[in-house]
Amino acid sequence: MANEFEQVENSEKVVEEFVAETAKNEEVEVKAKESVMPKAPSKLKLSKGELKRQSVLLVISAIFVLYGILFYYLPLGGWIMAFQNFKLKTGFLHSKWVWFAKFKFLFPTLKFWTREFWDGEFIRVIRNTLGMGVLNLATTFIMAIVFAILLNEVKNKFGKKMVQTISYLPHFLSWIIVTGIVHDSLSSTGIINELLRNLHIINDSYNFFAHPAWFWPIVAFSNVWKETGWNAIIYLAAITAIDPCLYEAAEIDGAGRWGKMKYITLPSIAPTIMILLVMNIGNVLNAGFEVQYLLGNGLVQKVSQTIDIYVLKWGISQMDYSLGTAAGIFKSVVAIVLIVISNTIAKKAGQESLF
Amino acid sequence: MEMKRFLALGMAGMLSAAALVGCDNGGNVVDPVDPVDPAEPGVTEPGEKTTYSEDEIINFTMFSAMPGSEINDGNAAQEEIAKRTGVRVKETWLTGQTAEEAVGSILASGDLPDFIDGGDGMVQLYENDVLVAWDEYIEKYPNLKELYSDAEWEFFRQDDGKIYWANVFCNTYGEPKATGHNDEAFWIQCRVLEWANYPTIETLDDYFKVLEDYYAEHKSFTDPAGNDIPIIPYTALCDDWRYFCIENAPEFLDGYPNDGSVIVDTTTMKIVDYNTTPTAKKYFAKLNEEYNKGIIDKEFATQTYDEYIAKLSTGAILGMCDQNWDFNYTITPIFADTKLSDLGCEYVPLGLTIEPGMKQRWHTYGDTLNNSSGCAVTTSCEDPDAAFKFLSDILDQDIHDLRFWGIEGQDYLVDEDGMYYRTQEMRDQLNDSTYKASHVCNYSYMPQWLGTSKDGKNAMQPGEQASEFYAGLSEPLANTFKAYNAGGYPDMIGSVVEEMGIWYPMYSYSNAMTAETAGGEAWTKMGTVKHEWIPKVVMSGDFESEWTKYMDAYNACKPEDFLAEMQEELERRAAMAE
Repeated sequence: MANEFEQVENSEKVVEEFVAETAKNEEVEVKAKESVMPKAPSKLKLSKGELKRQSVLLVISAIFVLYGILFYYLPLGGWIMAFQNFKLKTGFLHSKWVWFAKFKFLFPTLKFWTREFWDGEFIRVIRNTLGMGVLNLATTFIMAIVFAILLNEVKNKFGKKMVQTISYLPHFLSWIIVTGIVHDSLSSTGIINELLRNLHIINDSYNFFAHPAWFWPIVAFSNVWKETGWNAIIYLAAITAIDPCLYEAAEIDGAGRWGKMKYITLPSIAPTIMILLVMNIGNVLNAGFEVQYLLGNGLVQKVSQTIDIYVLKWGISQMDYSLGTAAGIFKSVVAIVLIVISNTIAKKAGQESLF
Repeated sequence: MEMKRFLALGMAGMLSAAALVGCDNGGNVVDPVDPVDPAEPGVTEPGEKTTYSEDEIINFTMFSAMPGSEINDGNAAQEEIAKRTGVRVKETWLTGQTAEEAVGSILASGDLPDFIDGGDGMVQLYENDVLVAWDEYIEKYPNLKELYSDAEWEFFRQDDGKIYWANVFCNTYGEPKATGHNDEAFWIQCRVLEWANYPTIETLDDYFKVLEDYYAEHKSFTDPAGNDIPIIPYTALCDDWRYFCIENAPEFLDGYPNDGSVIVDTTTMKIVDYNTTPTAKKYFAKLNEEYNKGIIDKEFATQTYDEYIAKLSTGAILGMCDQNWDFNYTITPIFADTKLSDLGCEYVPLGLTIEPGMKQRWHTYGDTLNNSSGCAVTTSCEDPDAAFKFLSDILDQDIHDLRFWGIEGQDYLVDEDGMYYRTQEMRDQLNDSTYKASHVCNYSYMPQWLGTSKDGKNAMQPGEQASEFYAGLSEPLANTFKAYNAGGYPDMIGSVVEEMGIWYPMYSYSNAMTAETAGGEAWTKMGTVKHEWIPKVVMSGDFESEWTKYMDAYNACKPEDFLAEMQEELERRAAMAE
């Protein structure tokens, strides 16, 4: 008995020491950063020798810089279109300048307290995009974490691998196939209606796609079904990296499975979660295009159309590139604002951040 | 906007039917050195054929902004045509997009095919200067010039005074041979009519009465494969542009022809909006009533086109309103294959009106000149002359026969009178999609003829050959025609025989509208509102209040802007005729 107590005490000490050490390390790192920063300018003096010494690195990084300029920055020149009445025939140089007319078309009235403002097509499209984006983010994000943690608890190695493999396979299906499956299963003769009928929950088949209220949940569910397994991989990797000592220590301290999840697993993967969250928030406006495009119909069009569909409709179908570009610019600006806000919050909360 | 798609007829046309055209298939091939010489039918001996070797054959590409099926490489008819004309064209089709989206993407990428039929996106192509004008080639190649009269060519002129495309459909050579009804109608299965002892069905009310009565006694049936199929008395497709199936019946019910987007009142020469007429309200009220009775498919509003076709193929649907080309070319071969045709599942068209005793114009007699789209050659084509020469060559009777009748001896035979015919085996073979992919090459979106072959005997296309038409009929279908004393589909529907006005069809104008004018913007918005509200109205529990809401939403789109522009166009066209 005495020995056991001693052991526990010892291990507690080990944990404390470990924690203290980690903290120290962090402090050291921070200090190191601070000490490097001011000194940096003096070190940055460009000497020929220095350039030569780093030439390989410079060439490699130059490739990436070039890539970025070519594929991310140069295309931004196309934003000019948003301020012109762009026609392929006349090109950038001879198209008529209309300045903000296209943006005015997107927001016919800026009096946001009026009904008219909220009934505008573009406002509705933004609402749908944000709504579905947030819903998708929340559901896929939480499901992936929950799934990863639960899967980590499976002790049978074979079973665990199998579940993991099967669950991420839907990621490789294209949306046209997934929406086909979803459409089929929710049809009047599909599996869902059959189940509901046989369980006597409903008497007659229910038409899920005829009711706007169901559309967002169906889209969110499709996303969860397709992406949960895939998104969980990164968390599973993070979990694998957790020092087993911590679990042992927690176990000795009397933590059960639940306790270990709560006090070891979750806090350990918190930085990963935070980084992914910040990145995904920037992506909220990419709520999807194919799902809504393929699952939508006339009855639910008011809740199904996203910014991307809007751009396709006006930009490509109606050949109004300028309007499409204006809508795209708006989308990018909102995405940048979102990412800055979430990053700041993450920083304030003392968590990992992107910049 | 949708009507023009009936062009799709061409593409599918070949599938189902049978018939013959005849010229002595001796195959007079145009001399490649002197392409101007149009083929005289049946004059030359096969020995005189000029053929092209593989190295000489030019490969072109074509995109048609319509759904279609690609044929296999090495397709027998395609290779034969290539050998004789020196050109092979790889056709691609619309997949899962709208025509405008596809054309927009092609323009944005700059990656143009050699030939293009842009469908609703034709005007975009013209506005972006990517088409080659036909004018000089029309003069050079008599086969092309012959397609239309000078007055008709005028209709294809764009505002720069040139012609950039020619519509390839509904163009009759010589005597019309039409036995089919390739327009819209309320369709009904033969077995329903037979069960009801072939009643006279004149109005929408009669029609639903028969469906209801039949359904009351038959909730399901057993198909030849032994499956128990539950019956759905009526469905209405609302998918994307195909929502005309539910949307435009009011114009026909009032007795007007398929102007598509509006009614032209011929007494006052005024444009009338068929969406808001008392007939429209009555029609949707009737649909609403039937929906609530359980007669109309619960999923009508959310089914996709593929699901709709799948449903029709089981024989479960007793009736629907649709264009013939939108379903029949697909359904007929399937019914023949599954023997559902012997059960009387095939459809016949009914010319319904809202009140009894009215004249109606569901069937279009004569040609329809749709100038809003057609076959065009693009500026990416490196040898436009070869392209136009090819368009001309494929109008030579022997090549035309190869396209539509197939290879003699394999796909059709010629009797001693020079009449073309097919054996039942050939018909079955041509109903098989695998065989078609490797043996049939219609070039269905390129210039072609209907009517009588240049030999003066056969029909240009097998579907119009009377002997083939009757030989191919299933027993229940033949009985139905007999019971109604009808010689074919046009007699069955019994529309007034009259020439269309020079303005017809008005949809060729609304199809080409863009959001740049107030009318075009209104037209786009009206479409969006109708897509949402028509199914809502039909499915509602309280028709009156939903109808009022629908009308409010509809009027908010400013339909008057659209109608005013249509009126202007009507007057322009009427003036042109004078």
